[in-house]
Amino acid sequence: MNKPGASIVVFACNWDGLSCIEVAAQKGLSYPASVKIVRVSCLSRVHSGLILKAFELGANGVMLLGCSRSGCHFEIESGLIEQEYEKTRNILGLLGLREKKLALIRLPGGDGPGFVKQVNDFIAGIEQTEPAAAQ
Amino acid sequence: MQNIEHEIKDTNIRLCLDCGKCTVVCPIAQHDPAFNPRLIAQRRLSQNSRGSRDDTIWSCLSCYMCMERCNYHVKFPSFIHALRAESLSEGTQIQCNHGGAIQAMMRLMARGDLQQKRLGWLPKDVELSSQSDTLFFVGCAPYFDVLFSDLGVNALEGVKGALKLLNRAQVPFNIIANERCCGRDLLLQGDRKGFTVLAKANMDEFTRHGVKKIITNCPECYYTLKVNYPNMLGSTGIQVMHLTQVVAPLVQGGKLSLGKLEKRVTYQDPCTLGRCSRIFNEPRQVLSAVAGLKLVEMEQSREKALCCGSNSWLQCGAVNRQIQKQRFAQAEISGAEILVTACPKCQIHLRCAQKSSDGKIARLEILDLASLAAQSLD
Ligand code: SF4
Ligand code: SF4
Ligand code: SF4
Repeated sequence: MNKPGASIVVFACNWDGLSCIEVAAQKGLSYPASVKIVRVSCLSRVHSGLILKAFELGANGVMLLGCSRSGCHFEIESGLIEQEYEKTRNILGLLGLREKKLALIRLPGGDGPGFVKQVNDFIAGIEQTEPAAAQ
Repeated sequence: MQNIEHEIKDTNIRLCLDCGKCTVVCPIAQHDPAFNPRLIAQRRLSQNSRGSRDDTIWSCLSCYMCMERCNYHVKFPSFIHALRAESLSEGTQIQCNHGGAIQAMMRLMARGDLQQKRLGWLPKDVELSSQSDTLFFVGCAPYFDVLFSDLGVNALEGVKGALKLLNRAQVPFNIIANERCCGRDLLLQGDRKGFTVLAKANMDEFTRHGVKKIITNCPECYYTLKVNYPNMLGSTGIQVMHLTQVVAPLVQGGKLSLGKLEKRVTYQDPCTLGRCSRIFNEPRQVLSAVAGLKLVEMEQSREKALCCGSNSWLQCGAVNRQIQKQRFAQAEISGAEILVTACPKCQIHLRCAQKSSDGKIARLEILDLASLAAQSLD
């Protein structure tokens, strides 16, 4: 049913991030099978090393999916992920890999359709600028 | 594995007399009783070592201090590099610091279709000579400044300083947009394959641009391009020089005059520039050509200089911090206001130590040698 597409790694926080994906599954909303979900306890756990490693292993795009800034399960949102996101974007820029390959998305808990829309838009953006990724 | 055995033999390790001098001077062994160069050699050479893993080989700093003392010229750092390559080939997973970000970056740079955009920092007033067969090899400074922005790392200031000095001395050079990491840290970690891919990609670029001579500001690039590239790929026919080797004769011969800076500075000999490449005098000659600059030496300097505490983005912990504290204490006692280094990686590790010390480590300014010398021109 789903055509193979750009391979995407989604680092999803265990809370609102993952709940969006779970709701999408419960509602039977579909997104490409080439999207791999990696669950992390909090997005602050994700650093430039992990993101770059995903690209090194062949990912065409990496999405960081977490709670809204005020909705962090751990109450104090450290802002660490913004720092790592910016840093990694700049590194990707130096490497000449499009900065569009990395997205930081924050959604309210349980927003399944929101997640599917975001991930599909993300893939479309990558496949548009990088047609080879679609194969 | 045949090759590794040969390589191990070439390190003279079989001449080791078990005297332990290396262990006495090794900065890691001083703070970590589990690390013992003499015993690493003994364990690997003993008959029944086969198959047993020595986890301590990853702590070595490749600082060359042990080689300075060994009467039998055992090339202990090379021995460690061979053991690491052997261990990696047996499937050992290594712990890289910074979450492996630097290794991932290096491996991404190995891609064939790479088109980097890494020259955005280049000042407009730098004069490049596109026809020159001399290349200024920038190294990973643009990447370091992003990755270590939170530490206030400014490796590009050193590069810009170097370019300014060369321009002022009317030494023509070119820069290429798609140079890769020299690959040193992969090589020292034992990833020969990863290193070779980067080295070949760089060599292709050099050949395409007709490069005959390379100048670097980073000592690690210097040694790697000069020694490791020919060793691994065969003769490159390219002359490689460190910036200070180019600038020192010019200032001494009166062809380049530096300006004035009333400062007391001390100089951190980078292990790869000093003990490994035997370049001790040139950096000092450049510093003493700055009028008003007073160079004061630390207790351990030149051949005895203490490492900045970390190397090749492997294992960095309490032991490494101890070494850095010791180095800062020496710098403070010297009475210097500025700690000058000629290596971007020393700058990173030393700034990191300073930042994490809550003000307990000397608040010395840390500056790259080339940027300091160039500052005097303003
Ligand atoms: S100093 Fe040289 S001979 Fe002595 S133990 Fe170390 S490697 Fe062996
Ligand atoms: S190279 Fe330095 S850290 Fe490694 S064994 Fe020798 S003295 Fe110790
Ligand atoms: S000293 Fe260097 S290797 Fe160690 S944590 Fe700091 S920056 Fe990383």
